[in-house]
Amino acid sequence: MKSSGFSRLRQASSGKQDLQKIGLVWILFMVKDDWMTFWIKLFTLAMVGLGLAGCGRDEQLREARRNVVMVEVTSQTWDYRLPWNPGTVSSARGAGFVIEGKRILTNAHVISGARNITVQREADPRKYPGKVLHVAHDCDLALVEIEDSEFFKGTTVLPLGNIPELESVVSVYGFPIGGDRLSVTRGVVSRIDYNSYTHSGRESHLAIQIDAAINPGNSGGPVMQDDKVVGVAFQGFRGDVAQNVGYMIPTPVIRRFLKDVEDGHYDHYVDIAIRWMTLENHAMRKYLKRPDDGLGVVVTDIFSEGSSDGVLKNGDVLLSIDGHPIESDGSVRLEGQPVQMEEIVERKFAGDTVSLEVWRQEKLEKLSLTLRPAEMFSMYENLYEESPRYVLYGGLVFQPLTANLMAVLMGSADLRLRQTYSMFGQDQLYRETPEPVVLTSILPDPLNVYLRGLAGQVVREINGRKIRTLADVLPALEAGKERTVILFQGDQRPAVLKNRDVDKAMPRLMAQYGIAEVSRTELGNRRLAKGSFQKADSK
Amino acid sequence: MKNLIRLGTATLLMGSSLWAASIDESGGSLVRVRASIQPYDQFRPWQKKAPFGLNGTGVVLPGGKVLATAALVENRTEVGLERPGSAEKCAAEVEAIDYEANLALLRPTDTKFLQGFAGVKMGPTLRAGDTAQVWQLDKNGEMLRNQAEVLSAGVGRYPADEAGFLLYGVRVSLPKRDDSYTLPMMRDGMLVGMMMGYDRDSQEGTVIPVPMIEHFLKDALDGKYEGFPTLGVSWTSLRDPNLREEFRTPKSGGILLTRVNPRGTAGRAGLKEGDVLLSVDGFVLDEDGNYQDSLYGPTSVGNLIRTRPIVGSPAKFHLSRDGKEMDLTGTYDRRARDEIAIPTLQFDVAPRYVVIGGLVFQELTGAYLQEWGDKWSERAPQRLVQLFSFQQEMNLDPSKKVVFLSQVLPSSITMGYLQLSGLVLSKLNGQEINGLKSLAALADGAKDGNLVFEFTDNPERIVLDVAEVKTMGDKIGKDYGLPALRRL
Repeated sequence: MKSSGFSRLRQASSGKQDLQKIGLVWILFMVKDDWMTFWIKLFTLAMVGLGLAGCGRDEQLREARRNVVMVEVTSQTWDYRLPWNPGTVSSARGAGFVIEGKRILTNAHVISGARNITVQREADPRKYPGKVLHVAHDCDLALVEIEDSEFFKGTTVLPLGNIPELESVVSVYGFPIGGDRLSVTRGVVSRIDYNSYTHSGRESHLAIQIDAAINPGNSGGPVMQDDKVVGVAFQGFRGDVAQNVGYMIPTPVIRRFLKDVEDGHYDHYVDIAIRWMTLENHAMRKYLKRPDDGLGVVVTDIFSEGSSDGVLKNGDVLLSIDGHPIESDGSVRLEGQPVQMEEIVERKFAGDTVSLEVWRQEKLEKLSLTLRPAEMFSMYENLYEESPRYVLYGGLVFQPLTANLMAVLMGSADLRLRQTYSMFGQDQLYRETPEPVVLTSILPDPLNVYLRGLAGQVVREINGRKIRTLADVLPALEAGKERTVILFQGDQRPAVLKNRDVDKAMPRLMAQYGIAEVSRTELGNRRLAKGSFQKADSK
Repeated sequence: MKNLIRLGTATLLMGSSLWAASIDESGGSLVRVRASIQPYDQFRPWQKKAPFGLNGTGVVLPGGKVLATAALVENRTEVGLERPGSAEKCAAEVEAIDYEANLALLRPTDTKFLQGFAGVKMGPTLRAGDTAQVWQLDKNGEMLRNQAEVLSAGVGRYPADEAGFLLYGVRVSLPKRDDSYTLPMMRDGMLVGMMMGYDRDSQEGTVIPVPMIEHFLKDALDGKYEGFPTLGVSWTSLRDPNLREEFRTPKSGGILLTRVNPRGTAGRAGLKEGDVLLSVDGFVLDEDGNYQDSLYGPTSVGNLIRTRPIVGSPAKFHLSRDGKEMDLTGTYDRRARDEIAIPTLQFDVAPRYVVIGGLVFQELTGAYLQEWGDKWSERAPQRLVQLFSFQQEMNLDPSKKVVFLSQVLPSSITMGYLQLSGLVLSKLNGQEINGLKSLAALADGAKDGNLVFEFTDNPERIVLDVAEVKTMGDKIGKDYGLPALRRL
């Protein structure tokens, strides 16, 4: 739900299912066995390594061998069907590299949900425990720190380069499947364009396509050219979809991330939060009293609570952004390259301003808007840090509608639930319901024997109180005196429970289903849309 | 002779169930129905899809008319009858057709064609466990009688119906593969049902029972076909004691109405959302919406209100509202089904469209959405799916048709609009659009200046130049080979 023209929305939806994260090689050995096999292998490999290191004919390779590291992660993944459970534990391997400040840059998806991180250099057989310093799920980057300074002995710093030229040769370093030592593959830059970043699920940023072999385990590793890092390998297509198509995160995105965390914490990407249409039709241009100069796009939708809310208007023609003329297809020239005009916004931070030249009602106006993250769309973002939230009541499980929940419900979700999810952004449903609450399942108990058909319904009201976010559920349940009446969207029957029966059943239910907590409602760092409904309430 | 065969079938049920008999033995009751079918192309509303043929077996009724399923003749270009055993053919016309009930009544254009056919009488209503025969004609006109057992008799889903009608589930082994399983089910030489579907793997089929056929024929033979009535409500079971208490219902029985269409039979009789319907026409409903049928035992209220009464007959409701019992009366009709903004079922109806300067506008129908395939509700534009699926609760005005931009034909004047589709049109030049006719009239009426199209979704508006539409419009039609720029 990134602000975008039509073509991009469409491309994103058609290509999305095929894109798959790489870099998660599931290690099947038990941890102990792994250590043993590791030591044996490392011994042999170190011998070969010494021989090669002596050659010194390639500066880039030598630097890579010093600074590219293997990141092994044991992570835990929540099961949104059983939100009270701690989730399944699995291990994976990716890559990373040393950058200035004794930090290791890697992908967010390599370390997300990490319970244990170990980092290892090629020249040092020891595994050093690592800690996540910063993580940016929206651009799939993370910084890992290592307390033991011993680790950095012999490392230098891999410097960041710029956007490489099309067809120029790049080398990819990492630890992909097929062996345990550093792997190098080469290829050329195939395409420089926006692409969806599948880790977050909703973001699109600049991504560079390369044809070097990238495989699971390459994630987080540097892509280099002329001794400099020009990108971080992060995603690709499954082999049965497309061959030799891999993507790297280019340096403008990396630099933005590093700058963002300078103040000690990572803010989200900002978003101009509009939809716009190309202005290629000359009747439309004439109607808007614009000359046929090939410039300008029309604003067609402004998302309330977004950066442009109250500044831009539907029908405005955007002519330039920060002084860059906007072509009628929505592109601007940046460093000589045509890029989507959003790239200007992409490189900015929360609180920054962007200046716009706008053609409004046949007058030129200069406007400035202050950028902020599009919190109202956070529902579409895959969640990694936040524990799944829920409220349990008489076997009825209430959960907020999130991308993670939808991923497990998709097959069974009915039309209303699917549309509540898919239209949430475009219809600005967040203005009424910043976070729809779903009765996701009903844990069978004699108490709820007649309610089981109601699973999957979107909750509208509990005991006469509107349910706008999960936080409304517990207070609304407590407001019920003898009975609790739950109403749903559409023409579903209400669910009615006697509170006395529920109180009696809860200990039984929790013991039966192994649930320790009745609810988990704390939101964490994430913020939801305010919702104009709520605004109206507080007046 | 017939009795002997019947006895034989009864005793030989477990063994081979196949007999071959001549036309004379069947008493001259069956004809082959050959339909040539050509559906409309909803995505290219100016053209039809590739034609194909369907064969089925029709039942000759006393009076020289032929009963078949509606599915056999839907989207037909031509229907013909053929005597079994000879190649003698005759064209036929569809006299009455009901897609919900999946029945059609055909009349041969040559009145003499069916001379000598005695016609089949209606047989008894069957129950689960009863046996009958499904008759199939082979290539040579030989008749194959296949022993069938009724597995279930109750309210079930018909292919083009949303609610439910009386339906038999049968098990039968059919030796001949057919492209339409329109086959009569017979007992004692009488018709007991019309098979409309068959699954070769499970050897199970669905059969339209006699009460449905009789309802259809009664309606069709009076010259004006009205169809099956409907109540126009959504309801839910009242088994849950907590729900009963909440709605202050009497001790037992009744169903909770969760939505009442104000135009439907129930709505016009005065029933409201939240009412507890206790009985209909004196038939007491239990908590699951079943009444006690004299033949089938507990049977869904759907049968009670759709198959039993005809349109125009009086309806009596006993209900409880806010804890008080009351009676309401009304008249059975099917307005809740027919008077809707977006028609659910539309067969044999050419899709309407208008092409304005390369912008293709259509009226939204269920048939258009179904063109998106089995997963239409996921694949079709979501706004259109929403309007169609939730039109009752969104209270769409039935007199206003939903007009949408279905596609844009590329040309110099539609540049920049090519990717637009699935957008609901609200206004043209500031005027509300109530249907394709009003759109065409408004577009024709514009003399110069712009055509400003306003949509309910993003983008809010697009513009064409009237002069360019006038000069380029016909050319676009010619370039794309459209036979006409509109069908209203």
